[in-house]
Amino acid sequence: MRSKLIVWLGVIALVAAACGDGGGDGASELPTEIGEGEGQVNIVAWAGYIEDGSTDPNYDWVTTFEEATGCQVNVKTAGTSDEMVALMTGSTEYDLVTASGDSSNRLIAGGTVQEINIDLIDAWDTVDPRLQDAPWHTVDGKHYGVPYEWGANVLAYNTEVFGDTPPTSWSVVFEEQTLPDGESNAGRVQAYDGPIYVADAALYMGVANPYALSDQQYQDALNLLRGQRELVGRYWHDAFIQIEDFTNEGVVASSSWPFQVNILQASGAPIASVFPTEGATGWADTTLMHSSAPNPNCAYMWLNHSITPKLQGDLAAWFGTVPAVLAACEGNELLGPDGCNTNGLGSFDQIKFWQTPTENCLGAGGTCVPYYKWVTDYLAVIGGR
Amino acid sequence: MRRRPRLLVLVAAAVLAFLHIPIFLVGLYAFTTEEASFQFPPPGFTFRWFGVAARNDDIREALVLSLGVAAAATAVALVLGTLAAGAVWRSKFFGRETLSLFIVLPIALPGIVTGIALRSAINLAEIPFSFWTLVVGHATFCVAVAYNNVIARMRRTSPSMMEASMDLGASGWQTFRYVLLPLLAPALVTGGMLAFALSFDEIIVTTFTAGQQQTLPIWIFSSLVRPRQRPVTNVVALLVVVVTFIPIILSQRFARRADET
Amino acid sequence: MASAAPPTSLVRRASAILYRRRGLRLFLLLGLPVLWLVGVYGGSLLSLLTQSFFRLDSFAGTIDRTPTLATWRDLFTGANMAVVGRTFTMAASVTIAAVIVALPLAYYIARFASRRTRAWMILAVLLPLWSSYLVRVYAWKLILAAEGIINWFLTRIGLGPVLDVVLDLPVIGGPSLSTSYLGQFIVFLYIWLPYMILPVETALERVPNSYLEASADLGAKPLTTFRRVVWPLAIPGIAAGSIFTFSLTLGDYIIPTIIGDSSPFIGLAIYSQQGVAGNLPLAAAFSFVPIAIMTVYLTIARRMGAFEAL
Repeated sequence: MRSKLIVWLGVIALVAAACGDGGGDGASELPTEIGEGEGQVNIVAWAGYIEDGSTDPNYDWVTTFEEATGCQVNVKTAGTSDEMVALMTGSTEYDLVTASGDSSNRLIAGGTVQEINIDLIDAWDTVDPRLQDAPWHTVDGKHYGVPYEWGANVLAYNTEVFGDTPPTSWSVVFEEQTLPDGESNAGRVQAYDGPIYVADAALYMGVANPYALSDQQYQDALNLLRGQRELVGRYWHDAFIQIEDFTNEGVVASSSWPFQVNILQASGAPIASVFPTEGATGWADTTLMHSSAPNPNCAYMWLNHSITPKLQGDLAAWFGTVPAVLAACEGNELLGPDGCNTNGLGSFDQIKFWQTPTENCLGAGGTCVPYYKWVTDYLAVIGGR
Repeated sequence: MRRRPRLLVLVAAAVLAFLHIPIFLVGLYAFTTEEASFQFPPPGFTFRWFGVAARNDDIREALVLSLGVAAAATAVALVLGTLAAGAVWRSKFFGRETLSLFIVLPIALPGIVTGIALRSAINLAEIPFSFWTLVVGHATFCVAVAYNNVIARMRRTSPSMMEASMDLGASGWQTFRYVLLPLLAPALVTGGMLAFALSFDEIIVTTFTAGQQQTLPIWIFSSLVRPRQRPVTNVVALLVVVVTFIPIILSQRFARRADET
Repeated sequence: MASAAPPTSLVRRASAILYRRRGLRLFLLLGLPVLWLVGVYGGSLLSLLTQSFFRLDSFAGTIDRTPTLATWRDLFTGANMAVVGRTFTMAASVTIAAVIVALPLAYYIARFASRRTRAWMILAVLLPLWSSYLVRVYAWKLILAAEGIINWFLTRIGLGPVLDVVLDLPVIGGPSLSTSYLGQFIVFLYIWLPYMILPVETALERVPNSYLEASADLGAKPLTTFRRVVWPLAIPGIAAGSIFTFSLTLGDYIIPTIIGDSSPFIGLAIYSQQGVAGNLPLAAAFSFVPIAIMTVYLTIARRMGAFEAL
C-alpha cells in the first residue's frame, strides 16, 4: 500500500520534470506606456550596486526613488553570475537583474528576460552611444536592457616588487619569468576563476575577437592557461579575497578591478594598476527585465532612475566603475572631477567587453567554441588537467 | 576521584584551544581599525564598528529573520521528528528502514544538492519564495536531528511506563502529555537546540530557497563580498555568540535537571 | 471510584481507537513526515536526477529533453573524475583526522569530567557552531596566510624553515598554507570537528564504568582496555560523526573558494554547471555522485549502529 504510494509520487515527479518548464515564456507585446506603480520592485544585483544608505549614509540612491514613485526597492544580492542566472531562471520572483555580459546573453537566449521598449526610457539618448546597441544586450535589433556601469579588468601589481619598471604586458601573469625584485613570479600571481577568462588568454595571444574562438585558437588558449596554472597560487573570485591576498599572501600581479585597486591604495598598500599593451577584457553591466516580471511599471520606473546622472556618478565613486551616462562624470561630489578618468574612461576603445560565446561565433559566421565548453574545460584547467 | 592521565588532559585541552582560538580571533578583529583587509597584529583598537552595526537596519532585520526561521523550522522539525520516532519506536512496518534513511538523507547529502532540488520543486509548484519556503528548506534537514535525539531517548524509555499509566485510567492523550512528554523533554531540548543552531547558521540551502529575504548568514556573505566595513561582520559574529550564550546555558540547566529526575 | 467505566469523552474514545487500530495510528503518525520527506524531498531529488538524462543543446543553449546518455558520458571524463577523486580523498582524510582529534577530548569529557564540568565542556564544544561559519573560515584565511598568524608565530620562535619544508611537500604543499591542500584540510577539520566530538562523546558516555574496572581487574593494560573494550563501543558514535564530516566535506563549495588553490570540488562543479553554463543536466549528473556515495556510506554506517548514535 505504502510502496504503491511511493511509486506514484515518483511517477508524478518524473512526469512533472519532463513536462514542466519553469522558464519564462517568450516576449509578449511591448508595453507602450508606464502605468501605475505596483508598490514594489525586486532587483537581483551585485553587492554594492544598489545602496540605500545603510552602509554609508552618503551613498544612497534608493530612498529618493522610493519617495518619488512609491515603489519599495527590494534587493537580492548575488555573488556570482552563476547565482544570478540561477535566481532569474525558472522563477517569477524578480523584476530586474544587473547582469554582466557573460550572463546577459544566456538570459536573453533562454527567454528569461524580455525586450525593453526604449521609448519608455526618457533619458535613453544620454546613455553613452557606444553602449546603446552593444551586442550583450541588443539581439536582432531588439534591446533587452538598459546599460548601467562598466569597468575594465586591469593589471594590478605591487609597486615595491616592480620598482622602476612597472609591467606593461600580461606576460607577467601568463609566463614564468623573474621579476625586478629578483624572484620568480611562480606562486605570486593570480588569475580570474571565471571561465570567461579564457578570453583574456586569447586576447594575450592576439586574437581579434576573443569571444569567437575557432577550435585551434581555443586549444592554444587552453595550453597557455595550463602553463599559467603552474604559476597561480589561487584563482581569485571575489574582490575581498583578492584584496587580502595582495595584502598578506604575497601576491604581486593579477588581473583585477579598479574597485580592489582603489581600496588597496586607500589603505596604504603599495599597489597600482596598468592597462597593458595587448589590451584588456572588461565588463559592462546592464539592467535587464524578467519576461514575467511581477511589477513591470515599477521596473520601468527604476530603469529610468538607473540612468540619472546623480545615481550613475555616486555608484561610480562607490564601486570604481565608469558610468554609462557620460554626463555623470561632471559635477558629482563623491566622484570628483577626475573620477571617471581614474576609473578608466579613456580606455573604452581598447576594452573587449564580456559576451557569452556561442557556437555561431556571435553571428559572424563559422563555427566557434560555445560557452558551456569553456566552463567544463576551464574547470579542468584549474583542476590541473 | 579517578586519576586523570596527564597526557590526556593536555591533549584534550589542546583540542579545546584549537576549537576556540579562531573564535577569539574573530572577536579580536571586531575591534581593529582596519577597514578592508586584515593584518596581524591588528594596527589599532576602536569601538566604532559596534556603533556602525547598531545603526545598520539590515543587520537587525536579518537577525530577526534568522531567529524566526530557526524557531519555526525547529518547531516543525520537532513535531515531524517526534511523529516519525513515535511510529518507528514501537511498530514494525513496511519501509521502516527506508524511512530512517530518508530522514537522514537531507542532512547527509551536500547542501547544494538539497538546495537545487528544493528550488526546482518550489519553482515547479509555482510557490513564491518567502519566509515559509525558507522554513521548509531548513526543517527538511533539521528533522534528522530532532528524530535522532527523540528516538534515542525513546529507546531508553520502558514501554511499561505507558501501559502502567493507561492501567491507572489515563487516556492516550493524558499518557502522552503527563508521562511521555516529560520523559522526552531533555531529548526535545537537545534536539531543538542543535536544530536551531544548524538552521541559524545555514547558508547553502538558504541561498537557494530564499526569496528577497536576508537571513544573517546571507547578510554576512554579501557583506564579506564587498570589503568596505569588514570588521562589522566580526562584530555581528561576536554579538551572536555572546547573545546565544544565555539561552544555551538556560537550556543546559533545564536538560540537566530533567535528566537527574 | 468508578471501576471499568466505559470511556465517554471524545478524547478518550479517540485514544482508545488509536490504541487498537495500529494501521490508523501509523497513518496519522507517519502521514506528515512521509509526505514531506519522501514525497516533497524525495520527489524533488528524483526530478533533479531525471534532468541528468537530458542534454544541453549547445547551439540554442536550452535543454533538449530527449532521453540520452550523452551527459553521463561527459561526466566520466578524466577531468571530472579527478574532481570526484579529489573531493573523496579530502573527505576521507578529514574524517579520519577528525576521529583521531576528537577521541581524546570526547574520552576526557565522558570519563573524567564531573557532571557539572561535562555540561560546560559540551557547551564549549557547541559554541563554535553558534558563531558564523563564514566569519570563522575567513579568520582561518588570516591564520594561514603567507604573512599571517602561523607564519608570524613560527618566525618569532625560529621555526620558519620548518614551515618552508612543509610547504615544499609535493601535492599537499603550496606557495602558502592558505593556498595549499594542507591548509584546506586543516580548515575542514576545524569546522566539522564539533560534529564528530558530540556523537563520540555520547557513545563513550554509555560505556559503563564497570566494564573498564572489570577489564582492569582481568589484567588488561589501559591501552588494551581501550582497544578491546572502549573502541568497539565507541564505533557507533564514530560512524555517526563520520556521516557528518564526510558528507559536509563532500558537498561544500564555500571553503574551497576561500582556502586552497582553487582546484574544483564536487560542490563547486555542481554550482558552476547549473549557473551561467546553464548545463543543468551535467549539474544533475554530478549531483548523483555524492548521492550515490552517501547512500552507500549510510548503509555501511547503519550496519555499524550509527543511526542509533546520531
